[in-house]
Amino acid sequence: MRVLIVEDDPVLADGLTRSLRQADYAVDCIDDGGEADHVLATQSYDLVILDLGLPKLDGFEVLRRLRRRGAKVPVLMLTARDSLQDRVKGLDLGADDYLAKPFDLPELEARVRALVRRGQSGGSAALTHGALTLDVAGRRATLNGDPLDLSARELGVLEVLMMRSGRVVGKEQLAEQLYGWDEEVGANAIEVYVHRLRRKLEPAGVSIRTIRGLGYLLEKEPNG
Amino acid sequence: MAKSRTLRRQLLTWLAGPLIVLWSISAMVDYDIANRFVNFAYDRALLESALDIGRQVKVLNNRIYVDLPEVAVKMLQSRESGKVFYLVTGPKNEYITGEPDLPRTPDPVSDRTNYYDDEYLGRPVRVVTLQFPVETGKGSGHVTVQVVEDRAPRTEFARLILLRMMLPQALLIALAALLVWYAVGRGLAPLSALRSEIESRSHRDLSALPEEQAPQEVRPLIRAMNELLQRLSKTLAAQQRFIADAAHQLRTPVAGIKTQTELALRQAPSEETQATLRQLNTATEQTIRLINQLLSLARAEPATERAFSGERFDLNALARDAATEWVPRALERNIDLGLDSMQAPAMMEGDAFLLREMLNNLLDNAIRYTQSGGQVTVRVSADTQNITLRVEDNGPGIPESERERVFERFYRVLGTGVDGCGLGLAIVREIAQRHNAEVSLGQGAGGSGTVIKVTFPRTA
Repeated sequence: MRVLIVEDDPVLADGLTRSLRQADYAVDCIDDGGEADHVLATQSYDLVILDLGLPKLDGFEVLRRLRRRGAKVPVLMLTARDSLQDRVKGLDLGADDYLAKPFDLPELEARVRALVRRGQSGGSAALTHGALTLDVAGRRATLNGDPLDLSARELGVLEVLMMRSGRVVGKEQLAEQLYGWDEEVGANAIEVYVHRLRRKLEPAGVSIRTIRGLGYLLEKEPNG
Repeated sequence: MAKSRTLRRQLLTWLAGPLIVLWSISAMVDYDIANRFVNFAYDRALLESALDIGRQVKVLNNRIYVDLPEVAVKMLQSRESGKVFYLVTGPKNEYITGEPDLPRTPDPVSDRTNYYDDEYLGRPVRVVTLQFPVETGKGSGHVTVQVVEDRAPRTEFARLILLRMMLPQALLIALAALLVWYAVGRGLAPLSALRSEIESRSHRDLSALPEEQAPQEVRPLIRAMNELLQRLSKTLAAQQRFIADAAHQLRTPVAGIKTQTELALRQAPSEETQATLRQLNTATEQTIRLINQLLSLARAEPATERAFSGERFDLNALARDAATEWVPRALERNIDLGLDSMQAPAMMEGDAFLLREMLNNLLDNAIRYTQSGGQVTVRVSADTQNITLRVEDNGPGIPESERERVFERFYRVLGTGVDGCGLGLAIVREIAQRHNAEVSLGQGAGGSGTVIKVTFPRTA
């Protein structure tokens, strides 16, 4: 896995590099936009971590040129600015994710993992959450390798929750996700599916938490 | 008002003062004129009396006498203008008839009529002296007729005339003063309007004052003030830009510190080093929060280049998004964070970005100051007039005496054992004020905890 870090602050760049190397990524680090553009034009990476404020060529421009060349490499933008316009502009230019400085290292690492996975498979083939694995394409879930007996809609709910593990998913979002399948799914129906999922998953220590008025959350795995 | 009243008083003094001086001069002149005319009229009457007497001077047997019938004498004595006394003397100044004790004309003049003032019986009198030629056997000479009357009625009459003349003038002056008072008020109305415009402004509003309705004379003043306001807002904007830039610039190095600290924390061999690094990490987190809040504050204040965007949005959805984002943080601290809102969208006008900042600060505070196992609830409700946002927790609460002060910048309630920089509620208030919303702080439903209520007036 080759990762390119484009960041002009040496301390931050060093921290990022060492953190990712510890996770067994092959990391290159560049501190100006012009060189980044040149390197990206000649070499291929599995992920680019791109700072917006760069000398010579700013991050937006590097990103624009990268996408103009048709490169599909996932890009995680870093920025010290937090205005909404910047975020939207970056995503419009083809960034895949966005992280505002300063950030938590585990957060960055999680996003890097997600982006690399997405870049590899062109979508998520399998989602894992502790002992739980969901084969997205095969529409099958296994717990400790044993197949789980889940209905299509239960699988749909579980897929959304797993994709956003550790984050809240609203009932409307779940309903939307299931909407295309057959008839409209009401909020009450969602409650029923979640209830059934809980019964099947809780014995294995996977818990779905209800967040008052907001929705559900698949609790983070204890090991991060 | 104090200033314009002084202006009015000055104008009045300058207008009414000279008018009163003029009025006094006019009074003197008028009194003189009145006296002249009264004297003229009374003198004519007095002369008539003298002529009447003179016509009755007869000569019989070379003796001069005056044939005054009783009725005529009575008439003379009961004239409307007062009692009249007379004295007729012969050519040799000898007494003929009348009041013998009347002072004689000191220097009897030849044939013509003579008027003069004198005193008789201790009172000021007017005297007319007439000389009539008489022929007696002893030759020709003059009979002198002196008629005297009290001057008091004249003076009184003159005074009456003066009064009649002066009163309308005084009324005129009073009227003029009143008009001036009113006119000055009218003329100063634009200044008063300007004053209330400035008074009613919040200290945030540094926009130019309206110049159009002001009279020509006031415009330079307004223009000068507008220039000052402009310079002021430029300075303010520069200051805020500096804070914002400084905060931005700090973010990258702080991110570096944080990343390195977290890395070191993973590799640190000894418990001792671990503890040190954890402290370092906490300090870094605090610095990050301070940087973010400084930025929020700089953004929430007016005079920034960032224009206040008045888009329409659903506060309900905004609250849902913000709460959703804070759930992982709340769970980390074992706090039950939830949303309790109505189903219908709560549409309002405002700056969604700033309101999101406000919610972030409210949630950050609530989660930070509530004990593990506590509850934080965001509520959005609406009625016909207002849309209300409440963030409620069952934490330790804020003592009544501190409730006003917590909105001050860098003010922190002591003894909470929580690291904060005391800017959160200042930001909340700043943003609320920009939305004409009211922020109040109260106790939670169960008599404990804190409720922060932000009431937005419904714009539509």
